[in-house]
Amino acid sequence: MENIEKQLRETVKKLLKEKKVDLVIGYSKGTLPLHSTPVFITHEKDVDNLIFDATCGNNLAKYLGKSRKPKTKNRKPIGIIVKGCDGRSIVQHIVENQIKREEIIIIGVPCDGVIDTRKLEEKVGRKEVLKYQVEGEKIIVEGKDFKNSLKKKEILSDSCLMCKYPNPPVYDIFVGEPVPVNENRKPNTDNLESLSPDKRWEYFEKEISKCIRCYACRNACPLCYCEECFVDQSGPQWFGKSPDLSDTMIFHIVRTLHTAGRCVSCGACTRACPTGVNLAPLGIRMEKEIKDRFGYTAGLDTEATPPMADWNENDKQEFIM
Amino acid sequence: MKEWQPKILAFLCNWCSYAGADLAGVSRIQYPPNIRVIRVPCSGRINPISIMKCLQNGFDGVLVSGCHPGDCHYITGNYYARRKFAVLKTLLEFIGIEPGRVQFSWVSAGEGEKFAEVIKKVTEDVKKLGPAKKLVKI
Amino acid sequence: MSSNAPNKSVLVVGAGIAGIQASLDLAELGADVHLIEETPSIGGRMPQLDKTFPTNDCSLCILAPKMSECARHPGITLHPCSSLTSISGEPGNFVCEITEQAKYVDPEKCVACGLCEQKCPTKVVDEFDMHLRKRKAIYRYFLQSIPSNYVIDAEHCLYLTKGACRLCEKICEAHAINFEDKDKVISLNCGAVVLSSGIDPHDPIVHAQYGYKRFKNVVTSLEFERMLSASGPLMGHVTVPSNGKEPKRIAFIQCVGSRDVENKNDYCSSVCCMYAIKQAIIAKEHIKGLEPTIFFMDIRAFGKDFDKYYERAESQYGVKFVRSKVARISESNGGTLRLRFSQENGKRKEEDFDMAILSIGLEPRKKMEKFADCLDIKLDEYGFARTSLFEPLNTTKDGIFVCGAMSGPKDIPESVMSASGAVAECTKFLALERQEKVSKKEFPPEKDVIGDRPRVGVFICHCGINIAGVVDVPQAVDFAKNLPNVEHTEDLLYACSQDCLDTIKEKIKEHNLNRVVVASCTPRTHEPLFRETLREAGLNQYLFEMANIRDQCSWAHMNEPELATEKAKDLIQMAIAKARNLVPLKRLPIDINPKALVIGGGLAGMTAALVVARAGYEVHLVEKDSELGGNLKDIYSTLEGDDPQKLLQETIKEVKENNSITVYTNAKIEEIAGYIGNFKTKVKTGNKKSEIEHGIVVVATGAKEYETKEYLYGKNKRVVTQLEFEKLLHTEKIKEYKPRSIVMIQCVNSREEERLYCSRVCCGAAVKNSLKLKEIYPSADIYVLYRDVRTYGLKEKYFGTARDKGIVFIRYDLEHKPQVEPMDKDNPDSKLLIKTMDPILDAQVVIEADLLVLSVSIDALQENKELAKLLKVPLNADGFFLEAHVKLRPVDFATDGIFVCGLAHGPKYIEESMVQAKAAASRALTILSKKTIEAEGTICWVNPDKCSGCGVCVEICAYSAIELNEEGIAEINEALCKGCGACTASCRSGAIDLRGFTDDQIFEAVNAVEI
Repeated sequence: MENIEKQLRETVKKLLKEKKVDLVIGYSKGTLPLHSTPVFITHEKDVDNLIFDATCGNNLAKYLGKSRKPKTKNRKPIGIIVKGCDGRSIVQHIVENQIKREEIIIIGVPCDGVIDTRKLEEKVGRKEVLKYQVEGEKIIVEGKDFKNSLKKKEILSDSCLMCKYPNPPVYDIFVGEPVPVNENRKPNTDNLESLSPDKRWEYFEKEISKCIRCYACRNACPLCYCEECFVDQSGPQWFGKSPDLSDTMIFHIVRTLHTAGRCVSCGACTRACPTGVNLAPLGIRMEKEIKDRFGYTAGLDTEATPPMADWNENDKQEFIM
Repeated sequence: MKEWQPKILAFLCNWCSYAGADLAGVSRIQYPPNIRVIRVPCSGRINPISIMKCLQNGFDGVLVSGCHPGDCHYITGNYYARRKFAVLKTLLEFIGIEPGRVQFSWVSAGEGEKFAEVIKKVTEDVKKLGPAKKLVKI
Repeated sequence: MSSNAPNKSVLVVGAGIAGIQASLDLAELGADVHLIEETPSIGGRMPQLDKTFPTNDCSLCILAPKMSECARHPGITLHPCSSLTSISGEPGNFVCEITEQAKYVDPEKCVACGLCEQKCPTKVVDEFDMHLRKRKAIYRYFLQSIPSNYVIDAEHCLYLTKGACRLCEKICEAHAINFEDKDKVISLNCGAVVLSSGIDPHDPIVHAQYGYKRFKNVVTSLEFERMLSASGPLMGHVTVPSNGKEPKRIAFIQCVGSRDVENKNDYCSSVCCMYAIKQAIIAKEHIKGLEPTIFFMDIRAFGKDFDKYYERAESQYGVKFVRSKVARISESNGGTLRLRFSQENGKRKEEDFDMAILSIGLEPRKKMEKFADCLDIKLDEYGFARTSLFEPLNTTKDGIFVCGAMSGPKDIPESVMSASGAVAECTKFLALERQEKVSKKEFPPEKDVIGDRPRVGVFICHCGINIAGVVDVPQAVDFAKNLPNVEHTEDLLYACSQDCLDTIKEKIKEHNLNRVVVASCTPRTHEPLFRETLREAGLNQYLFEMANIRDQCSWAHMNEPELATEKAKDLIQMAIAKARNLVPLKRLPIDINPKALVIGGGLAGMTAALVVARAGYEVHLVEKDSELGGNLKDIYSTLEGDDPQKLLQETIKEVKENNSITVYTNAKIEEIAGYIGNFKTKVKTGNKKSEIEHGIVVVATGAKEYETKEYLYGKNKRVVTQLEFEKLLHTEKIKEYKPRSIVMIQCVNSREEERLYCSRVCCGAAVKNSLKLKEIYPSADIYVLYRDVRTYGLKEKYFGTARDKGIVFIRYDLEHKPQVEPMDKDNPDSKLLIKTMDPILDAQVVIEADLLVLSVSIDALQENKELAKLLKVPLNADGFFLEAHVKLRPVDFATDGIFVCGLAHGPKYIEESMVQAKAAASRALTILSKKTIEAEGTICWVNPDKCSGCGVCVEICAYSAIELNEEGIAEINEALCKGCGACTASCRSGAIDLRGFTDDQIFEAVNAVEI
């Protein structure tokens, strides 16, 4: 990891020095251990703040902004450090005209998965982690009066455990060695689907009832770039804005529909949630459906037609009378 | 006591399904009186949001019906609709909404009989499920 | 008044799809059209069909909008139950005598409620349903008839035949029955006449070997079509007539009454192969496990995308195809049919089936001879209207034109094309001017209601007892009265009757209403009428909403009055909720630049250009080559004996001499911008660049012979293509080959995986050039190796002539393609040895050939892709331009103002290209002939503040009506939007809305229902 960070800093330094970019979006250490924060590097002197490790859970595609605003027309390309999922989100941004390929320099990094702090909490309890170290498949976390050795896969995000694209599909520079791809991984929600509909409803009711409508999920999501979200609309105001269960459930259903065929299951929404709503299964289920039904995987091809803006005469219609 | 009568909202495309519903009437084919129809130009016009609104308002069922593939008056509207509905249906069922609550059909302008059959089926399905509870805003 | 006064009137005889199309186009050109029809409804054969090939479109679904457009058009007067009895006078000034039969029902009063039908005691076999169902003596021709009123069949009416009954008169609350009605003779002064009276189905009774009418389970294809139809007598549930069970095995017997020398029908009916395939597919979709078998001589899937359909029927649906003529059918116990037939190798076979469907051919109408005499037009040897090859729309009499199958078998798109084409021919006899105004009717100025509180008027119709007999109308009135914003509520006996329409107008004034709801029947038929009433009352027509409480309520829930009343109340409340949110809509006027751009200077392009130019409009004709002419330059003769080179020279001369046509040769189109009425195109000719402003585009870019690599082509000079062979034949050069034995191979690169389509003209070309060679070298041996002989329509006759002259036709199939090798391996140009399997001999034959002629496929141009992108119009999988609708809009694109014709659309013969070019031109004239046109009112609009520029709407729009502007914001071209709302429903940020069906209106309608 340290090696990657070193290479990364050198790469970014070079880009800034050669004036290929005047801004690089990456990660730096957060104020808490095991948390990182997005950072915007504009000077060589700040480059050493860059990190990259299993705490880098934000999807940086969110921070790209829009190319079409006239004021940004003549700027230099933006450098952006991307994991597999961030890279795929950027591909979606290109497909959806949010940014042009030539406006960005994609610095790819291999990703082994990022930590879900909530899972970690389950393991160590509500104790403050002060230090951590990665050793192969293990992570050793240390606090005031404890030291735990945890299996990495126990505390990685669910999305990461199913991730088939640990390396960005499109990049200009790749730092480090690509992570070997595990072809057997695929979007999987079998544990939920084995339940009866009523049990599933119970599960989601329980999850969604935790939601306080803070919209952290929406703010973390690289695809939630609408000028006005449907829940904020008036004329008509389709749904209520309070944390009523029906309104909240519908907010999450429609948000999932709006990201269907675009969502790359990065898990940023789930990790961002302050009350621990597990939103990931919704996106994962959609990703699976879009793949099975339309043969489409989001975020791989900048020339693709989005599946919800496309059709095929032979699309399955077993559900239509 | 009177039998419980579910209320079902039906979105019908103007050129095929709405015409099929008219034909059922002209042919005096009888079907259950539980649907409330909203006419739209094309099944492609139906936003899943409006289906969600129906469910939230307490409609016991929602039917969306359009032209058969290839028949769309607007060339491809129903193909896009088909994709939207496939995804919506999967998601609703994944969340645990009963499969019979939201249904889809293709009914052409000549299929009065089929229209009646579809309404019969949807009504029976919904009757079996009982009044909608999930997603209904109290 | 001088009888030579310019005449705008035109008579169209026969209201099938051809007559409807001709009438619509003529009316759009500003003519006064009289459309006469023998039956009580317009529609012709199409309403009888269940589906249409090769897309399986529902026939009625696609026809019904055209029928109502026809009925509503202010330029068209319908004359149902009428026939043309004589024509006198001169072209430009004909006097046409029409007999209009008494209907005994006043169409102005009849509201088509159907009570009379229920009461009528007389049952009559129904001709529309091919005698499979009974109707009453007072009846509608079919459920979706237009006009929709009932008529009395005088031949069977008890009162009219026996003097007693009049039950219908007693029950009719609209007082529409009029037994005093008499036949009327009307005389019309018309500039031109279009004949489109169609065909009759062949009567298979003459084929005693098939036992039609003797065996219950032998039916005609048209009867079977009615059985398949969801609105037919069996509601689409096909059953075996003898036992009422689902059939397991059904047989289709092709060419019944076609290709039949014995019965003097030695032409091909052109449509039977395809409709049999269609029926087999649909029957299979209806009945699980059904095994359909089609017995055929050749499968003639020659049209656009037909071969793919044929292929799908076999591979995907498992339809069985047997190449054989069925010798006879016998009936065994229980009605099972035994079919006896010889296989291709001569072996006899018998198979049992539950049903046999006779694919009956198309014949001239029974009364054609008498009809032709009255009109003084001539018929051909079969009894179809006689035309000449290069003037296929002209009868033998000036000013009288023909379209549809009346001049020979045609499928639907060909009929539509010929109809639009005939319109082009008519124009020179009609005094038509460029039209100033869109609407012919004057209305009072519209009241401004924006900002006013909604004041809704609700009118609830009894429709006699049709609604009121089930729904408690007074209760509904009371309910509606108390709803918010409702200012006035009233019940009406027949809302659509003139006195009630007047009432609505009065109440609008009296109560200062600014929204109107009518709860009655279906908006599909009555919305236009009520909207017009609003306009007459000075309200914007879009401030109107209907609640369908008859067709979708009282008629469908006749035994549940209480629940029906509840439903009606909900529907009314929903309509009111929507009405509150209605806003006045404008129909944006679009100015039309009266110039045309025609792309392609071949025969199709030149023909289209001439039609437009003759009508007085400027044409810019762009040709990529150095000279005009296109593929026609390489055609030297036709099967029918006409001279294509003469046609070419005359056409080029006329184009060059016409001052309205500007020709650009060696020209390339670099850019096309704009939309209907307002295109701007950049053309480069050499170093010169010009910019053309024009209102419409005709695409006539042609196609070319594929550059084949098969069968030693290019390696041995004795291997030539059919086009090259034609050139040899018409020069001295043929002598160099000393042709004693020649072989032709058909379908080279056609009908194979890469080009799974038929090139349509090659069978005819092979026959033509074989006959020509025989003329020069009578003793030459000619072998044509074919897969199916597709000399469809009236060209079939020449196939017969070729066989009579001793030309040998040997079939091959894809698994056993002919083998070609040089006789002398060391001499690259040596004679050839051709080996092929002869399925009749069931053995290989080897032929020595002096010349091998390859009928190579017609290939779409690569340049089409570029042009398609510039025009934003689609291509089909084979690279040909894809029209808006393969059946009913064969020359239009989905994008308004752009048309296609000739080989650019798909392979076709010279005369077919000409018809299509004329059709494209006359469709273009319907636009050019107007100074302005109106966009739709119910179209989409973008709220730019909400648009995030993702481009989903741009992808989805089928009409290329949306683009992202420089700021990346979606913009809608109101001239192109058709108001389907697909973009609206796909926009995540709610930035697009559809006027007339807004989110708000849907939201309020949903909220209006109390649960």
